[in-house]
Amino acid sequence: MTSPASSSEVKYLIESSEGNTFDVSGAALRQSNTFNAMFLNIGADGPIPFTDYNEATLKKVFEYCEHSVNEENYSGPKHQDDLSKWDLNFFNEMDQKMFIDVINASNFLDIERLTSYCCERIARMLRGKNTQEMIKVITLPTAEELEAKQKVEEKKAAAAKKVAEKAAETAEKTETLEELPVQQLVQTTRNKLTRKYLSFSNE
Amino acid sequence: MSSPFPLLRLPGVILCEVFKSLSIGEKIQLSLCSTKISTQINNAQFYSHNVIVNQDFLSHKIRIHSENNKDVFEIFICPDIGKNHNSNTQRCPIACCTVPVIFIPTGIKIFWKIYSEGFLSVIQHLLKVFQCKISININCYCSNLFQQTISKLFDLQLEFRTLTIKIQHLTIYNNLGRVEDLRIFSLPDPEFIPVFTSWPQKITIMNSAWFTLEYLLTCTCTRIFLEDSLLGNEDLDEILKNWKAGGFPNLEYLYIESQRISDNGSTILGVNLLKLRGKHIKNNDRSKKLVTKLSTKFGFERIEMSVTVV
Repeated sequence: MTSPASSSEVKYLIESSEGNTFDVSGAALRQSNTFNAMFLNIGADGPIPFTDYNEATLKKVFEYCEHSVNEENYSGPKHQDDLSKWDLNFFNEMDQKMFIDVINASNFLDIERLTSYCCERIARMLRGKNTQEMIKVITLPTAEELEAKQKVEEKKAAAAKKVAEKAAETAEKTETLEELPVQQLVQTTRNKLTRKYLSFSNE
Repeated sequence: MSSPFPLLRLPGVILCEVFKSLSIGEKIQLSLCSTKISTQINNAQFYSHNVIVNQDFLSHKIRIHSENNKDVFEIFICPDIGKNHNSNTQRCPIACCTVPVIFIPTGIKIFWKIYSEGFLSVIQHLLKVFQCKISININCYCSNLFQQTISKLFDLQLEFRTLTIKIQHLTIYNNLGRVEDLRIFSLPDPEFIPVFTSWPQKITIMNSAWFTLEYLLTCTCTRIFLEDSLLGNEDLDEILKNWKAGGFPNLEYLYIESQRISDNGSTILGVNLLKLRGKHIKNNDRSKKLVTKLSTKFGFERIEMSVTVV
């Protein structure tokens, strides 16, 4: 169970494409602008479904977020040379498939720092090369692959639209809650917190 | 990650970020990898106002550089006679053609059967990538290739940052409104009567003897530079009276260099020429102020007028 974040101690449950759930700290999750826009102020009942991405990818993304919680505030893209040893290890231990999955997930979750480092890493593959050398570094997709990519992007856009609509619906409900008498509002919040504690003790 | 990277499988936003962080040369080199990549780069819509495509017809070179000249890439258009290719020649797609390209340290050499077609295709390719205006180098106004190519660029409705032309070319270019800074080289030709159907934002005329008061009074440019002019004190008087009455609504700066401007006793706005030095003049509705500056060089009197809104 999840609840609105007020401190870094709060944990949120994340659901992957396999249906597995794992918890992520509120502080780490708040690095995702998508999360902030959809759930931060209104909370979420049950695990947050990021079901377009598998568990390994999401864990990798949130591993990065957990690590950068204590780093200084993000101040725009860094050059690859400025990356810490930890950052370099983080990227180096990924194979290409995982790297692409991480970029896609980071892009969807809108985690600025991670997305920007991923972009810089890709740019570095191309930097200082001429056309001939670039062609050796990148794979040029077939027409079928491009068509498939377009379909996936359309599907994702539709899914994101659905999530946004759901979030808007929840926000409307929250607004209704705000109109309730204070006593009733306290009781509702208490019920939510109880559900959250029960959820953690069950684990 | 040693296997080839599937760049185009990445989401458009990511691709855009990657492209953004590449230099001018890297963007061009990448755009030549395939038509699909080129399309993606064009879709990224780099409104790169700081990129200047500078076309130099005499050396058959297109120089693409940033405003501060730190990021530079050169493209040479060479005649494709087949003999000058080597093992490093690669075929790259540009504007629906696949042409031989050789990579050199400062840029690339592109081989094209017809020069003008090569220039046009490369320019169009570059303008799609950078969404910027084009500048035509000052030394190219006499090139034969120049006239037909610029005319075609006008037909394509492209915008020019700077354009240097011969006065005789004025008739060819139908919409000077698309030119930010027009520089005209004038060669004496009493037979030719220039006609302006539209005006650029700024105009510089070298040897402007033909540019009479009648032309000037219809000029809507913001900055006007007239070198070797034949305008005299009476013309200055007329110009200032016209400005005071609301004429030259766009004018910010006017520079006239003429041997006919002199302290010959005739008056300008009721005072003699020397009294105009550093004079502040307000227009009739007092919304604008004009400051004059006088100087002399090689026997030419030079007058500068700077206009500010009050």
